[in-house]
Amino acid sequence: MNRQGVSSRQQTFSMWQQTSLITSTLIGVGILTLPRTTSAVLYEAGWMSPVIGSVVALLSIWMIARLSQRFPGMTFVEYSAIVWGSPKYLRMGKWLSLPWILAYLSCMYLATGIVSRVFGEVVVTSVLLDTPLEVIIITMFVLVFILSLHDLDVVARINELLLPLILLPVLIIALASFQKAEWSNLLPLYRASLPSLFKGAFEAIYAFSGYEIMLIFFAYAHENESKVRAGVYGIAITMVIYTLIVVAGIAGFGYEELQRVAWPTLELVKTTKVPGLILERLESAFLAVWVTAVFTTVANAYYAFIYGLRQLFNRGIGFQRIISAIMFVPLYFITLWPQNVVDIFRFNFYFGVFSLVINLGIPFLYLTLLFIRDLGRKQKERNADG
Amino acid sequence: MSQFWKAWQKRKKTLQEKALHHHADRSMERVADKELSLEVDENIIMIEQELGRCDDLVVRRFRDKRGTDCAIVFLDGMVDRNVISEYIISYLSNPQIPDILPASNELESTDGLRQVIRNILSGSAVLMRDGDNKAYLNNTRGWDRRGVDEPQTESVVRGPRDGFCETLCVNSALVRFRLKDPHLRVRHMVIGRRTQTDVYVMYIEGLAYPPMVREVLARLEKINVDSILESGYIEQLIQDRRWSPFPQLQNTERPDKVVANLLEGKVAILVDGTPAALIAPAVFTQFYQSPEDYYERFYIATLLRFIRAISITIALLLPSLYIAFSSFHPEMIPSRLVIAMAAGRSTVPFPSLVEALIMEVAIEILREASVRLPGPIGPTIGIVGALVVGEAAVTAGLVSPVMVIIVALTTIGSFASPSYSAAISIRMLRFLVMLLAGMFGLYGIMLFLIVLLIHLSSLKSFGVPYMSPFSPLNLKGMKDVFIRAPHHLLRTRPTMFHIQDEIRMREEENREQAGR
Repeated sequence: MNRQGVSSRQQTFSMWQQTSLITSTLIGVGILTLPRTTSAVLYEAGWMSPVIGSVVALLSIWMIARLSQRFPGMTFVEYSAIVWGSPKYLRMGKWLSLPWILAYLSCMYLATGIVSRVFGEVVVTSVLLDTPLEVIIITMFVLVFILSLHDLDVVARINELLLPLILLPVLIIALASFQKAEWSNLLPLYRASLPSLFKGAFEAIYAFSGYEIMLIFFAYAHENESKVRAGVYGIAITMVIYTLIVVAGIAGFGYEELQRVAWPTLELVKTTKVPGLILERLESAFLAVWVTAVFTTVANAYYAFIYGLRQLFNRGIGFQRIISAIMFVPLYFITLWPQNVVDIFRFNFYFGVFSLVINLGIPFLYLTLLFIRDLGRKQKERNADG
Repeated sequence: MSQFWKAWQKRKKTLQEKALHHHADRSMERVADKELSLEVDENIIMIEQELGRCDDLVVRRFRDKRGTDCAIVFLDGMVDRNVISEYIISYLSNPQIPDILPASNELESTDGLRQVIRNILSGSAVLMRDGDNKAYLNNTRGWDRRGVDEPQTESVVRGPRDGFCETLCVNSALVRFRLKDPHLRVRHMVIGRRTQTDVYVMYIEGLAYPPMVREVLARLEKINVDSILESGYIEQLIQDRRWSPFPQLQNTERPDKVVANLLEGKVAILVDGTPAALIAPAVFTQFYQSPEDYYERFYIATLLRFIRAISITIALLLPSLYIAFSSFHPEMIPSRLVIAMAAGRSTVPFPSLVEALIMEVAIEILREASVRLPGPIGPTIGIVGALVVGEAAVTAGLVSPVMVIIVALTTIGSFASPSYSAAISIRMLRFLVMLLAGMFGLYGIMLFLIVLLIHLSSLKSFGVPYMSPFSPLNLKGMKDVFIRAPHHLLRTRPTMFHIQDEIRMREEENREQAGR
């Protein structure tokens, strides 16, 4: 019963664990800017963009879940070789799939860097004014490193434990700010054009990216649990939270005012009063709890990256520990690359496009490839029969 | 790189094994396993040779009714002298009684010297006769022992008052007396090369998960140490993660707690010479759960659990929250309070981290001192320390009044935990959070909590995740975690210990109850 030596091959993630993996990865730094970015294009109807954006995310997670169902117990890195080659020509499959795997892994890697940079920026500008940015980023890396020392089931469990801590403060803030909301700010309901609707949706898609970690983690889902359902729940919870916070932002400030603030959700927190006046101002407390949301985003992405690398080289946990320490060094410099907040937002935009391409493109490409190969195989079988 | 790592691990392992072999001079095995001879005198000489110069070794020679030379050998003080004189010596020399064997209630015979020595050392009286190469081992153990007493560390308001004592057989009887289940299994083991300590492993067959029981037994068998003086030795030698600050086995002095845990499918380890029994596996909920919860009605029990959970949080976080608020986020404190706090702190020359550290260290010293002091003086020191020193420190301007409140709450909070060893780890970690809060404010506290949660979710005690049933989430198990649901809803046992027979209460019987 000493389970420490049990291989991580075991498929143990419950559906709730999968859901919390998805939700806690999605909710990260995006939530701080979401009311601004969405209302910049859609004005009063900014809340529509997370709703539409979630449809794209749902489509993508559906494809990822289907892929994983097709290869149960295998991660993206493992089944890529089979998709591109065949059990016979594994070596060829490996080489052909390498660019996609590398693109995926670098996407995860960059996501880790960008999220921790935005996080550091927020912490340094709003709570810890005298602390250098580098220190905040390094402490976050240390946390992530500690997690990457552990096995995969610990990642699932920590997400499960932290999820309430991520959801509750956002819910409370959104609901509490409704007290003094100006509901007419949400009217007229819709006046943007159709193209801008899609443009607005794209803004939200960045906030939804992160579920691509499931390309790795779905492999360890419990067989009896529906992966698609876990994906739908995970994205639905996030969608509700996002929509609430955008509605709260627009109703509280109006879309014009939202354009003037860098972190609208944080402003929302500042204006919220706690009943009973136990704490006079909330933003420090909110940011402190929000650390967990960022941690889960960064840590899950980084863990997926490290785990993918580990499988690419076919090594054990020892390799994972060493490589995760080494990979932080380049990441640190990548993180400090953007000069200022404007630079970061521009970076963020490009990265959003990149991750969208990865998230939709890779599963779509893989499924199409499988579909074609299935057709071919059926054709062959039919020929053999005939 | 990983191959190098593996090779290094392997080398370490072989070195450890070598060291073990080197020390494997099980002291009993050094006693030559000779056969006893027909001559009493020769046997006595053999025993005296093995035990060396033992002045407490008593050899009583007498002649029984048939005229045979006999001898009784025992260690002074470890035997009940009445039993020896009445039921062995006078019984055997009384010509009216035809028996040639003593009338003791536990009688074994052996012809091996090693067994004789072992039994003498554990308090038996050994009877030998001329012309007989067998020795008769009478269980006459009867040293002075402490009676069954109320446990000092785990007192309850409602519930049984008896606690374990230092004698193993009394302890196992205390458990048996509450649990007349024929499926209760007791495995005997001897651990400790020199101390030869008796250990009982108790579990209920059909409830405890067999691989878990095997794992406990296997880990106990692997122990190769010269002495077991307290169950803490065993706890530290068989726990899953040696570097963790958290107790991975529960310890208790309460037989009712042991029985309750046996009924949840856990394994209890009773060690001779100590009142602290071990329970494996342990989970995080032990920090705020007490057997009392099941004796009181469920509203009260639930409320008490909440209060304990809050007090543990206070014990862990309150001083660091004070440091974070007062030195990093004063804007969060209501403005009137912040003015009052600033007024109180105006004379304090130190930053709040130093102030908090001074007070917390002082209170730890006081607490440690009051544990060591003889009974009646302990509380006095507590009063002197808490009231006089605290008051004087405030008046002298060393600490602020708020700090005194915080230190007092922290200390009291850590005592509200029903498990002493669990509370110690909280007390210890408190200092770490204080340092982090002094560096990064609330952010530091969050860093600490995340690392703590990572550690807790990676911990496993005999295969059971430490944080269950929170994670992996087990909604059925949640009925008995923060809230203690009424008994009629707790029909099934918690499943996280891989329970074999889930049903605790049958539905039909329950309906009958409701009808009455």
